[in-house]
Amino acid sequence: MDKTDEVALMFLGVDVGGTFTDAVVVDNKRILKQVKVKTNSENVLQGILTALDRILENCELDLLERVVVSSTVVTNALIVGDTEEVFLAVMPGTGMDITNSFPVAPFIVEGYVNHHGKVTKNVELNYLAAQAQAKGKRVAAISGKFSVRNQSNEVALRQELSELDFEQFFLGSEMSGELNFVRRTNSAYFSAAIYQKYAHFIHQIVTSIRSRGINVPIHILKADGGTMPIEVALQHPVEAIFTGPAASVLGIEALSLPEGQAISLDVGGTTTDIAFWENGRPLLANKGARINGFPTTVRAYHMRSVPIGGDSLLQRQGDAYLVGPKRVDVAAALGGNKATLGDALIVLSVVSFGDIEKAKNALIKLCYDGEDHLVVAMRFVEVAVSVLEQTIKEMIQEWEVKPVYTVNDMISGTSFRPEILVGVGGGATGLVQRLALKMNLPVSVPPGAMVANAVGAALARPTLIGTLRADSQEGYYIIPEGGIREDLSCQATRSELEDILRSWLLSEAQRWHLPVAGVEVIACEEFTTIQNYYSIGKIVYLKMQLAPGIIYGVQGQEVSF
Amino acid sequence: MKPNLGLVFFPAFDWMINQTHPERPERLLYTRDQIMEEGLFDVPEIREYRPVLAEIADLQRVHIGVPTIAKLITPAHLVSAGGCLAAADAVMQGEVKRAFALVRPPGHHAMRVVHGIRGFCVVNIEAIMVAYLRAKYGVRKIAVVDTDVHHGDGSEDIFYHDPDTLFISFHQDGRTLYPGTGFPKQAGSPAAMGMNINLPLLPGTGDEGIHRLFDGLIKPILDDFEPELIINSAGQDNHFSDPLASMQFTAQGYAQLADKLKADIAVLEGGYSVESALPYINTGIILAMAELPYGKVKEPDLMQVAEQRKECNARVDELISTISTLWKNRKNLSEAALAKCGASWSRHKDIYYDEEGISESQIETAHYCKDCKGFLTIATKAEQTRFGSQSAFIVSHDESLCAKCKTQIFDEALKAKKQGLWQYVFVQNRLSGIIETV
Repeated sequence: MDKTDEVALMFLGVDVGGTFTDAVVVDNKRILKQVKVKTNSENVLQGILTALDRILENCELDLLERVVVSSTVVTNALIVGDTEEVFLAVMPGTGMDITNSFPVAPFIVEGYVNHHGKVTKNVELNYLAAQAQAKGKRVAAISGKFSVRNQSNEVALRQELSELDFEQFFLGSEMSGELNFVRRTNSAYFSAAIYQKYAHFIHQIVTSIRSRGINVPIHILKADGGTMPIEVALQHPVEAIFTGPAASVLGIEALSLPEGQAISLDVGGTTTDIAFWENGRPLLANKGARINGFPTTVRAYHMRSVPIGGDSLLQRQGDAYLVGPKRVDVAAALGGNKATLGDALIVLSVVSFGDIEKAKNALIKLCYDGEDHLVVAMRFVEVAVSVLEQTIKEMIQEWEVKPVYTVNDMISGTSFRPEILVGVGGGATGLVQRLALKMNLPVSVPPGAMVANAVGAALARPTLIGTLRADSQEGYYIIPEGGIREDLSCQATRSELEDILRSWLLSEAQRWHLPVAGVEVIACEEFTTIQNYYSIGKIVYLKMQLAPGIIYGVQGQEVSF
Repeated sequence: MKPNLGLVFFPAFDWMINQTHPERPERLLYTRDQIMEEGLFDVPEIREYRPVLAEIADLQRVHIGVPTIAKLITPAHLVSAGGCLAAADAVMQGEVKRAFALVRPPGHHAMRVVHGIRGFCVVNIEAIMVAYLRAKYGVRKIAVVDTDVHHGDGSEDIFYHDPDTLFISFHQDGRTLYPGTGFPKQAGSPAAMGMNINLPLLPGTGDEGIHRLFDGLIKPILDDFEPELIINSAGQDNHFSDPLASMQFTAQGYAQLADKLKADIAVLEGGYSVESALPYINTGIILAMAELPYGKVKEPDLMQVAEQRKECNARVDELISTISTLWKNRKNLSEAALAKCGASWSRHKDIYYDEEGISESQIETAHYCKDCKGFLTIATKAEQTRFGSQSAFIVSHDESLCAKCKTQIFDEALKAKKQGLWQYVFVQNRLSGIIETV
């Protein structure tokens, strides 16, 4: 589909937040309709359906292209541990002791693939022991070291375990095409652990949407800010974690595209979400996300949530000024009985809402003898600003330890030097401006949208990644995401391999009816392999993706209410 | 919790000596793959560091390049030297307990004077780090243990006069392997007698022999010396599958050695079995240094390791006996040697640069002084460098010179200048890394 045609398309987005569930219909670069309903944390689906019904009232959806749902179902289930028991079978072979690397003790199976993708040991399963371990478990995760170079041991083990009546298997090599056995294993484990619950949720969503006469593709938002079709989501449930922050970043992307290197701060009631940007694109973290402390393959934005927001409680302990992490429901200015960061900003006249006198009185209660409430308010704001500044510094450091593999990388550098701060959300005006002053940076506060997250979800492009590794010495190439391993002619050039991977991505895109804005190469390595001073082959590694981002931007002024 | 290990990983995928050379882009590819696949960068015991770019002055605390060091290196050398400096900083600033600079290009064949590339090395990255540790952090007593299969002749050359640096190199006997040196007789110049310990092993020595040597000799000497820091030149070519050497060491052997040695900073040197050895040895060393269990690290083709020959242990025992005696008597030997040589001591060296076919002839003289550390003069001539034939006279000193020596170094430099025999006359300040052309 041509990019220019996409502007005319209509999209529906639903975003389940902690407090509200928003639904929005966007069409032709503007918001056609939006609704906001209370989230019922006990029954997320109910909120989604109410929002859907309200948005469908008197709304002509004939031109609708797609529905995207961003929900907290996966995040909540995994964080709270509302999961089911998983049979986790791993083939670690040589290397690090992995006894404590996963959320549960693994069932260890003999079998090894070396770094060349050669099976150096076939699967040797102790069937009786596996049977005993698997008792009462309905889902299984299987993972082997270097399975992304050769999936045959994982596949063979799945075959051997197939008689044990599992409802679903998750293979490490299907979680990601990248190296990192522990992360792939954890992703497979978490996917399995929430599978039943998630499948039930997806089933309900699909049935409800279809019963309302909507027959367009349904997508789920992922942590990397892309979407995936529900069928794919069922194979990778873990990818649907942490979509709240992702939707917030997409919302900013839909409203304004900061140029150069920028930092966005989404100041909410409870937290401030900080993200990094480069030339209008949010940066992804160098490493996959951690879930309950366990590293996974889940790609997520390079962002942090700081427990500082407009509703953060202000407290004094001796000489210390504390802002958050506790919060109160209602600021003093709005009739609450405790001073919040919002109240401090009100008395300093940087924001105006509610009753300034009430805010002032709450601040005065925090003053020691003889102190001026304005000075005290200022100190609280300074503390909040310092925390944000410190977090940004840490994030820059984290960004810059990204590994360097070449002299060229080292010399050209991958440093992050922010040129502008972008503030969004309720408390942004005052706080982010103070921070910008301290960091000596310009600041932009685009007009906010009450439903920015849902807009972001509605307009997110699908993300799809493929990795290809070709090893002409061993005579194969593999695309683990597609379960493809084919013979390789030794003359294959890098550009031919790029074509192979591009075709695979495009065929997947076609299979799921994904809008494609282009295919980009995100990593590429090429090595000549040598034995006894003779060149005997070539190793090529390619990672490509459908171009991510949002389908079109929505004009700011039209979405501020 | 402070991580046990800071890991600087720099595989220099765009640096090579040439396409099919052992030092080619592919060298650390499989190591990178293995440590990524293991997930070693995700454990709390390990913190990842980026290298920094070393400055020319960092290199010049050690080296005198002819015509200049800047003309002899590639940017990759500034990164690998900088990787060592980053590792040193991480340890010295207390961010990690110890560090491993898993970097290339390597350095232990590079000597003080550099005319080109030899033994795959241009600058000696460990020596540059030692000089940096002294200049920046005031560390005095340092032990450098070279576990590469080749004699660390560059490090020997640089540390030879330094009574505060204990240099121990075990390697395959020089009669059977490059660079052909590294015999126990070279025990240090008179002022540093006994501080240069060469331990040539018979080809075929394996885990048993090397650990016998470590437990029976290296460990007791290190304990006795009580260094402030231990540095490991962690070459990996003692491995049974190495294509350039003939030893029988295994990944487990290396991991156990790293565990026993407990080096504060390890630096990768050689190791050219890039597919069958390096991925496993590096995983083993990293785990051992990070104090994580390494017992499961095994080469998939471990069956190929041969039983150690009987003579190997006999050689080890012989070394334990002679070197222990030398170590115990080193102070007496040093005094006797100093008394014998008087105010100065000279050695003549013929140095061959295998990569470029350069032949260098050098006379190095240590000038002793009762009131300060004295200084070195080096007269060097080299044929067939990429700049043609070249010669230089060098005066090399550190900052703490007495007034008399201060005058003398300039007298020596001016005298050389007047002789007109030398293309270049340099004065090297080893603390600041400044080299003046006279």
